[in-house]
Amino acid sequence: MLEALGIAALTLAVLSTIFLVALVLRRTSVAREERRRLQAERRLRSLALDIVGGEEIDVSGLATEELAILAEVIGRLSRNLSGDARRRISAYFAGTSAFATELRSLGDRRAWRRATAAYRLGDMACDDAVPRLIRSLNDRDADVRSATARSLGRLQAHEATEPLLLSLVVGVVPRAIAFRAILDIGATALPGLHRLARSSDAAVRAGAIELIGWLGDASDAELLVGAMNDSAAEVRARAAGALGRLAEDEGATALTDALDDRIYFVRLHAARALGQVGEREAVPRLLQQAREDRFEAARAAAEAISRIDPQALLAAAELPDAGPHLHEAADLLKA
Amino acid sequence: MTVNVDPPLVLVADDDPDILDLVRYRLERSGYAVATATDGAEAVRLAGELDPALAVLDVMMPALNGFEATRALRDDPQTARIPVILLTTKAQEEDVQEGFASGADDYLRKPFSPRELSARVQAILGRR
Repeated sequence: MLEALGIAALTLAVLSTIFLVALVLRRTSVAREERRRLQAERRLRSLALDIVGGEEIDVSGLATEELAILAEVIGRLSRNLSGDARRRISAYFAGTSAFATELRSLGDRRAWRRATAAYRLGDMACDDAVPRLIRSLNDRDADVRSATARSLGRLQAHEATEPLLLSLVVGVVPRAIAFRAILDIGATALPGLHRLARSSDAAVRAGAIELIGWLGDASDAELLVGAMNDSAAEVRARAAGALGRLAEDEGATALTDALDDRIYFVRLHAARALGQVGEREAVPRLLQQAREDRFEAARAAAEAISRIDPQALLAAAELPDAGPHLHEAADLLKA
Repeated sequence: MTVNVDPPLVLVADDDPDILDLVRYRLERSGYAVATATDGAEAVRLAGELDPALAVLDVMMPALNGFEATRALRDDPQTARIPVILLTTKAQEEDVQEGFASGADDYLRKPFSPRELSARVQAILGRR
């Protein structure tokens, strides 16, 4: 029995030693690999800068591994670039196998590989990736969908506006990522957003209206004023916010009318927007809201008056029926 | 920190080494000497020591951000006249306003075009 225990202990000790040695060897090998990679990256960095800078560079002499590292460095630089430098990056990748490899990897069975490919394709700046990336917005893995949305934004793919907004509404891509991607697409997303603002789905209309508020201009005011009569309160509230951001006088009447909306958060957003527009004629109605409405809506009204007409706010705060919100706004004004 | 002595000298400050390299590459090819810093405090110190013709400062930097570094340059008579271009990912109207309020001469949003940056540097320095 003792002998068997001794053999077992010895075996365990030998196995532990082998395991430790393997671990040390593995760690050393990884560290060596990382050092070699960093050295190669330092060596290839000036080449990457030359390519981005528009120099004619012959990379045919580089090994496959070096080309992969070069592609990674250029991709990283690409994240900070726009204009002609980004067009040069696109032209460079269009002529390399790295682009085709990443495109193919979107179909890889490993989720991390698909996500990496989706992310890299955005940095490669090649518009040819857009149709395939749009399909990846339906990937079964959340990280792949997020990386895809980010890349479609980086590629300013206006044709991805609708799928991105739908991804946002359904929740398959985090709201912040999908929203940012559409903002990155910029004004070219507006025609798609105008179509989506007439969707039969209220959540889609609300998302489209909000984004029009961020990307649009004075010419969108009429559409937004129309949305103030939408049957969905969420759409009316977003339209009010959008009109406030555009700060167009054209929306002032609709916003003042919205102070009588039956849903309090529409009244809240309307009050905020009136403050941004600076609509003086709405001050009496805002004073009433600041005294009588629910907490958030009343507070928003008081803050709006503070922006539009500070003297009117200070005077109203002296009255016996002023209420806590006018007092608070007046105190902040005096501070 | 790297310093080239050929005039005119442009001081570039950013905590992202990729951006430092990109800006340095473009400006050196446009005929400028470039000194680099990796935070706002170092940028202010180098501006005092090197008296650059212009400074390109990132807004989001450790130690002192771009707005604070610009204000520090403006508050020192020795560096008050150095033109400043701010580089930032933030594109909100109030950030632009804060940039100009802090004394910046121009503003460039990231991701940026190196050619546009070079053109703006040339425009400010009046160099063709």
